[in-house]
Order: sequence, then structure tokens, then C-alpha cells
Amino acid sequence: MAGTSYVVTSGKGGVGKTTTTANVGCALATLGVQVVLVDADIGLRNLDLVLGLEKRIVFDVVDVAEGRCQPRQALIRDKRLDGLYLLPASQTKDKESIGEDQMRDVVGKLTKEFDVVLIDCPAGIEHGFRNAIAGADEAIIVTTPEVSAIRDADRILGMLGTRRTQLIVNRVRTEMVKTGDMLGVDDVAEILGRDVLGVVPDDEEIIDTTNRGEPVVLDPSRRLSKTYIAIARRLLGENVPLPSFDDDGLFGRLRRLMIGTR
Amino acid sequence: MPDVENERRETSPAIVEQTVAPASSAASPAEFTPRPAVKTGRSIVLTSGKGGVGKTTTTANLGTALADAGHSVVVVDADVGLRNLDVVLGLENRVSKHLLDVIEGKCTLDEALVRDRVRRNLQLLPAAQNREKDDVPEDKMADLVRQLRERFDFVLIDCPAGIEQGFRNAVVGAQEAVVVTTPEVSAVRDADRIVGLLPQEIVIKLVVNRVRPAMVRKGTMMSVADVNAILRLDLIGVVPDEREIIIATNRGTPVIDIEGSETGAAFRRIARRLLGEDIPIPLFEDKSNFFTRFMTTLGVGRS
Repeated sequence: MAGTSYVVTSGKGGVGKTTTTANVGCALATLGVQVVLVDADIGLRNLDLVLGLEKRIVFDVVDVAEGRCQPRQALIRDKRLDGLYLLPASQTKDKESIGEDQMRDVVGKLTKEFDVVLIDCPAGIEHGFRNAIAGADEAIIVTTPEVSAIRDADRILGMLGTRRTQLIVNRVRTEMVKTGDMLGVDDVAEILGRDVLGVVPDDEEIIDTTNRGEPVVLDPSRRLSKTYIAIARRLLGENVPLPSFDDDGLFGRLRRLMIGTR
Repeated sequence: MPDVENERRETSPAIVEQTVAPASSAASPAEFTPRPAVKTGRSIVLTSGKGGVGKTTTTANLGTALADAGHSVVVVDADVGLRNLDVVLGLENRVSKHLLDVIEGKCTLDEALVRDRVRRNLQLLPAAQNREKDDVPEDKMADLVRQLRERFDFVLIDCPAGIEQGFRNAVVGAQEAVVVTTPEVSAVRDADRIVGLLPQEIVIKLVVNRVRPAMVRKGTMMSVADVNAILRLDLIGVVPDEREIIIATNRGTPVIDIEGSETGAAFRRIARRLLGEDIPIPLFEDKSNFFTRFMTTLGVGRS
């Protein structure tokens, strides 16, 4: 049975696509899923850094697309987690160097061998974006509760066609939502009209772990570790309730106390 | 394309400095040379490689600060298809024509320019939202920037993320570049990549954005010194991270208008440095250079 391919996209840059791809990928692998992460940001790759695998790159996605090597030869196996692989982007080529058909072909080969293929999309809506979405069955839009990010996400939605698309609302600051200085998750979901796959609070620890190339999921004591595991479970079809980050008053707090959030 | 080359050569940065010297340095010899009939403003692209590091916010705030200093400023949104500069400036409801309309001769420059509500000497040239970056020919873009330089003291170009056609269009008319980065490994790596793609003759300055002093002190964030040990660019400003910036951006008011904002103050200082003032740069410094060593082992830094 073929696996499912997801493109992790946003329109706007810097909202957390790469960090999300790395952490959801790690979370899926911890759950025993065979997963490959594809860096589609040719020329500006970063997924390798975030995973801490940058020193092990030999072949890249362009080599695979152009038939210079087999997909297996280009894949880097993460030694920390069984079943987690990276197909890195080329850093010296540009995005026009491969086409949508080639990308579709590469992703098609990967879905034969893996349960989940996560494609890390570059920012923008140019060739790199079109390549990244070409082979994807479904889409995960990462956005932040900011007007410009939501506007770009909305623009992207129109270009994803009929693919099933779910949202990850990233960098939510609960205290700012409460004071009315930030849009809530419900607001974002309503504007974009898609289901929420996950909500990730803004947390300083993500900067540190990303810089060190150790995805936060790898350390179960980290606050965000559980958040990404929950997202991975939902992606696999489990019914894991979303934690409430919006201010829902005393009743909501009581309900969460009594029923629990995860 | 040959036109573009000539244009660049005749406006070396030295000449630019003279023609739009800050009002404070009135004693310079430039005072005695007759003022040219048309302006020769400075064109500056704000670029980063990585998205979401603060190009648009920096463009809006520097534009506003330069306008406050009495200069005529146009901010150009080169992010065709994903425009946001209009939102950040709070002008989205006033946009009717855009950059591509001007390039394709569908309207005049004056019809496309949107004047700021508060600062009459600040104008926005919006990007088209329903078009693609490949629709913009590079030579036409260079012509447009040249035209703008004849009318404005400063032409600030907000570059899209990435290194595709949108990047090339944003850079083609620029004499100077402000590279915006954050103290994160991926942002620094992308900035390093972009510096290599900028034309040789362009003057490059660096802004390090979103510095969290507390994290730098704890050693969980790279310091500015760490960042610039890798990039080795001419540092023109360091901007601290504040929650005010999110509020200001969402509301469409520049953060420099928020009283007591450290971020706003930092942008004002960058504008003054762009105008040639020599004012110290607070670095939010820390003695740890853990990340420098770390990045060097990653091979991100220059050899």
C-alpha cells in the first residue's frame, strides 16, 4: 500500500515550515511510522541543519530527479530515530533546475517505500512552491496569528486545488490572545475555513533546539514535545482533542482541569 | 541590460552620499554645486533569503523614519503575488493600481503611488496580488527604479523571500542592499547565501533583527558578534525583539510611532546611520561565543 505525501507550506516565510516538518517528522517516527522528509527549498536548504544532519549529505533531491542516483542513495537515515529519513535539497542549484513532473516522480517513488512523505516547501509562490506541491496528496498549512501570514496562507489555499488541507497555527501567545493583541486559533480557522491539525504555542526553547539541530520532540521533557506528538497522532487519524489556547474563561479552565487537555 | 550596467557605474555610492547628504552636514562642498534638476535618490533593497525575518517591517519602519527626517521616500513592494507592505503600513484599502500596471503602461506612476496617511512625503508602490513574479521583466524593473530615483530621495525595495525571479527583480535596480537576518542558524545561512548572489557593485549593510537579550545572556541565542563573525558585513543596526512589533504590524502602524518602544528606537537609529550619522550600535552583547565555534564546525561560516 502506498503512503501519503503531505506538503508543509505557508506562503509567507519564517512562520515555521521547516521546524514543523522536522518535529512532526520526528514525532511520526517515534510513533513507529516510516517517514521521509523532503527538503524542497533548493538553493536555500535548512531542513538538514534543523535535523542536525548537514554533515552527512552526499546526494540531493536534484541528483535523484535527474537520475544520477537512486532515492535510497540520497536518503540520510537519522541515527536517533528508527524510520526517519531526510532527502536533502541541493544548495548550489536553483529551483528552476527541476520541474514539477520530476518532483512528482521522486515523491511517487518515496510513497512506495514510506508511510508518510513530508515535503518542506520554500516560501513564496514561484517555481519552488509549484515543485513542492506537485507530488503532494495533501497539504498542511503552517501559519501564525498575524495578518500578513494569514493573508499569504489564504493566497496559497487557492493554489492548492482540491487537496485536503489542514492548518497548524504556530507561535500562539496565549497572553496576547487574552489581551486582544493577537488573533485566536478559532479566528484563524474561521478566516481560512480549514480544520486545525495543531496549535503550537510560542516558546523560546524552539529557537535553541532548532539552532542546535536537535528537534524538540527528541527530548520528552520539553514542553513542545507533547504538542508535536499530538499533531502526529491527529495526522494519523487519531482523535486527539485540541488544547484550548483561547481564553475561554473560568468554565473553560475548570473543564480543562476536570477533563484534561490531551 | 547594458543600460542597467551603465546606470550603476555612474551612480557610485560616493556620489550618492553627496547628493542626498543629511541636512546636518551643510558645510560640505556639495552645498556650492548647483542642485541637479532631477533627484538622484538612493535605491536600497531590503533582502534576507529566508522569509519571516522582518524585511517588510524593516522597510516600513525605515521608510517612515527617513520620511520623518524630511526626506521624500517611496517604499516599493516587490513581493508580487504575496504583498504585505500595504498591510503593515495600514494602506491596504487605498491600493488601486500596482507596480505591474505601471510597468505594463496601464497607468501612470502617480496613479499607482499611495500616499501615507500621516507622512505626506512617504509613498507606497504596491505589488500586484493576482499576478506572478515571472510577469515582471528585470529590465523594466530597473527602468522603474531609475524613474523613482529621479523623484524620491530614497527608494526602499521590499524583496520577497527566496532566490528566484522575485529576488532578481527586487535587486536589479538597487545600488545598496540592507541584509536583514535574525540570530538563528538557518537565517544566517540564508543571508550568507544571498550575499553571494548580490551583484559585486552593490553596497551591503547588515541589520540583525529579533535579538532577545535575555536569551543571548543565557547563551541560548547567538549574539550579534557571533552572527557577524560569520557574515562579516558592515553592521548598521541591531533590533531587539518585542511584543509591540506584532501589535503594531497587525494594526498597520509603524512600531517607531509607539512611544517607549525599544524596537522603534532601534529602527530610528538605523535610519540615522543610513543618512551618514555616526551613532553607536547597542549590541546586547554577551561574552559567550559558543555558537561561533558551533557554526564554524557546521561549515556555515566563511573560510
